[in-house]
Amino acid sequence: MKAKFSPYLSRLAGFFRELSEVLAEKYEYVSILSTDSKGLAVRISQRAKSVSSETMTTERGNVVRVLLDGLYSEYAFNDLDLEMALWPTKRQRMEYVQDMADLISMEIDRQRELLKKTESAIYKTPALQGQPQVMLSEMEAELLPEKADVKALVDRMSEISLKGAGSMPEALDCIVSCQCTHINKMFITPNQYLRQSYVYAEGSVSLIVKGDEDVKFAREGLSGRCGLELFNNLDQVLDKTILQAKDLLKAGRIEPGEYDIITTPEITGLIAHEAFGHGVEMDMFVKNRALGKDYIGKRVGSELVTMHEGAACSPSVTGYAFDDEGTLAGDVIEIDKGILKTGICDALSALRLNTVPTGNGKRENFEHKVYTRMTNTVFDSGSNTLEEMIASVSYGYLLDGTESGMEDPKHWGIQCIVSRGYEIRDGKLTGKVVSPVVMTGYVPDLLGSVSMASADREIEGTGGCGKGYKEWVKVADGGPYLKARARLG
Amino acid sequence: MDILRVKELLLQAAENPDLSFDDWEITQEMRRGWEFYFIRHQLDQNRAKQVRAINLKLYKKSGDGQFLGSASMEIDPTASDEEVMQVIRDLIYRASLVKNPVYSLVSGDGKAHQSFKMVSLEAISDGFIRALQDVQETETEDVNSYEIFVSEISRHYINSQGADYLTVYPSSMLEVVVNARDREKAHEIELYRMLTGGSCDRDHVISVIEKAMQYGKDKLICEPTPAIGQAPVILSGDNALEVYRYFLMQMNVSAKYQQISRAEIGKPLQEGIEGDRITLRAVRELPNASHNFTVDEEGSSIQEKVLMEDGIVRAFYGKRQFAQYLGIDECSNVYNYVVEPGTASETALRTGAYLEAVEFSDFQVDPMTGDIAGEIRLGYLHDGDTTRIVSGGSISGSMNEAMKHMHLSSEKTLYDGADVPSLIRFDSLTVTGIS
Repeated sequence: MKAKFSPYLSRLAGFFRELSEVLAEKYEYVSILSTDSKGLAVRISQRAKSVSSETMTTERGNVVRVLLDGLYSEYAFNDLDLEMALWPTKRQRMEYVQDMADLISMEIDRQRELLKKTESAIYKTPALQGQPQVMLSEMEAELLPEKADVKALVDRMSEISLKGAGSMPEALDCIVSCQCTHINKMFITPNQYLRQSYVYAEGSVSLIVKGDEDVKFAREGLSGRCGLELFNNLDQVLDKTILQAKDLLKAGRIEPGEYDIITTPEITGLIAHEAFGHGVEMDMFVKNRALGKDYIGKRVGSELVTMHEGAACSPSVTGYAFDDEGTLAGDVIEIDKGILKTGICDALSALRLNTVPTGNGKRENFEHKVYTRMTNTVFDSGSNTLEEMIASVSYGYLLDGTESGMEDPKHWGIQCIVSRGYEIRDGKLTGKVVSPVVMTGYVPDLLGSVSMASADREIEGTGGCGKGYKEWVKVADGGPYLKARARLG
Repeated sequence: MDILRVKELLLQAAENPDLSFDDWEITQEMRRGWEFYFIRHQLDQNRAKQVRAINLKLYKKSGDGQFLGSASMEIDPTASDEEVMQVIRDLIYRASLVKNPVYSLVSGDGKAHQSFKMVSLEAISDGFIRALQDVQETETEDVNSYEIFVSEISRHYINSQGADYLTVYPSSMLEVVVNARDREKAHEIELYRMLTGGSCDRDHVISVIEKAMQYGKDKLICEPTPAIGQAPVILSGDNALEVYRYFLMQMNVSAKYQQISRAEIGKPLQEGIEGDRITLRAVRELPNASHNFTVDEEGSSIQEKVLMEDGIVRAFYGKRQFAQYLGIDECSNVYNYVVEPGTASETALRTGAYLEAVEFSDFQVDPMTGDIAGEIRLGYLHDGDTTRIVSGGSISGSMNEAMKHMHLSSEKTLYDGADVPSLIRFDSLTVTGIS
């Protein structure tokens, strides 16, 4: 069924349109983004349980963006007098609209006074030109978080947690986490009226197990642009987690060196995200913070490397209809057969770089600024089978399980901390496991070494992505199994 | 809607025999913020915000009194009385589904307690803008971009046991990116810094940025890190803090209750320590810290206590729920801590052959497993006589082993929320080189 758009935002649409029109009398550009995203988060372990309505993306609030004399300014707020905003008589309602416009204007003017006092120069930017547009996108989802049968979910998760905790003598606890968020966003300018409603869910089953000297943590996640129906098969997720935990318990340390590697789709996604995802966020081009700017049209990977980015690429946790600046979702080919073609861009950076926005302007929530951010970052599939790929390795590792990654767009270094490495010798998995594995290198060397890619492809979005160490947003990434060469430690 | 109206509605709901619940907590956070985003020294965008966040948590005991359930929800400031009453009904139902061992909320005296620190968004913002303008830039080292975040946060916590605490405080953050390039402008380096604190400490800001520029200058002339294998490694700054945070996490009641931590009162965290033994104290306030509070977010009075003394675990800290499960009656969160100085000076630690790694992609010490990992972006490799500037490769190891041979400097450095020895020297970590 369609996830119905927020009645709350629908009621306020008229007020915000009037507010945008009043502000447009003073400012050269005005937009308003309003959000109303509800969620459900349940976490069950054998030692503690919680139920909350907050997820990473739940929010209700508004942000006004205006332009005056080349400077874009924003005002974020969530407190409104609803009675006044929805007053049936236009004359009285407009008094409140004017009050809000004055409040916003006054706060921005106070900041401008400080900028004058400190003699701060302005990075002047032209006005955004939004084409007249009306859109209502309501995407499919079966079980919405606001209508959840919470008891059934808690009971199911409790069963899984109990089963996991009893799955092996070393198990200390089994944590089952399920979250679901119904995103509602409304974007208004004097000539644009965009609304979208979609639901995404993500979860994980984690096992904490006691090793000889320390504690090990195994985790298997799942995600998708869907409702709570995602959690119908948690048993299978638990089975995978148990296998991981057994592998971690027997894992040793890796001998540092350069190896042939095969990356699972999860690690392929991590590489896509860290290697070139951040490196072609074009707000970094504006600041001259990304080496990618100088490599457009040049080779950055092998012939087997083709990489897509865009919210329209996949029905994932970040598969939205339009971004937080009212740009429609895109599907950009960033790398085509090893050649860097283009980056991704938010609307203001596009103006500054004289290019077009790609639908990648995202905020952590209404309180935060827009940056160029990733959505789905995905390598294209190849034609090999995993068996062929393993058979081709004389000594190396199959890498699986994301711990963390860090970007380095300026110098193209890459750091990926991987949970497990499975040894391959003479074309066969030996059963020996190493953990953790730190994969480092120079991005063009790593992508240039890609020599095989599997025909299948997976995309997941169970985590969050920061810009530097802040501004957390949902992203998804993935691709096929890849064979490459990398330095491991 | 505000916190007091939500309280009134809760009290009304408590009169209704169909709405049965045992305890409640409401936290209201008012965030007033100014933000400035600069590219070079040109303002890219300015932002202001005024946000009210209200969170309601309800508690309900099971029929036999053996279990306590809770559920929480954000209440929108535009919510009507009817909508809040519906939230209360939903939370009562959801709390009844959660079965945790019983624990109690903090008890208050029924009086309102207030703690105010004056905040001028304009004055603090002015301080940051001028500090950045005063950074000494050169033709080859300069500031690429910076983002200034200044907030006044008003946090009001009340509960059904008579606790009522209002805390108003400043919170600031500065993100800075600096560049260093060679004279031919053929090669440019970028380094990143994030500083947090209460308000603007001008001298500290300028000093951190100018030091980063020096590191950038050095990185221009670095060579690939050789494959050293096991080697002494010195850490400082945020990377040293990551190590101290590992120790802090071991004394967290949540980690202990979930069996992630193996810390036990009166016992050392690790046997066979041959280096410095850690002494770590929780303190209520540190100069210009962003979290100088008298009570934590659960209304517990913040305790000053020794958590670890000469490597021996002395006390735990953290949330009341897990503390009570462990049989600890008085417990509060830790926002600020002090690690006592070590026995050797920085000069003494910097002797012989060692690698001083100052920049990583993202240095991490896993709080659960103790795994140490980070890709080296800049290091100084000393062989006793000469120093080579290196980059690339990684450092890895395990805290379980590494802490046995760990040495802390006698000199200290103050960060936001931490007053700690400036340098840590590990006698043996794995250094994977690239040459």
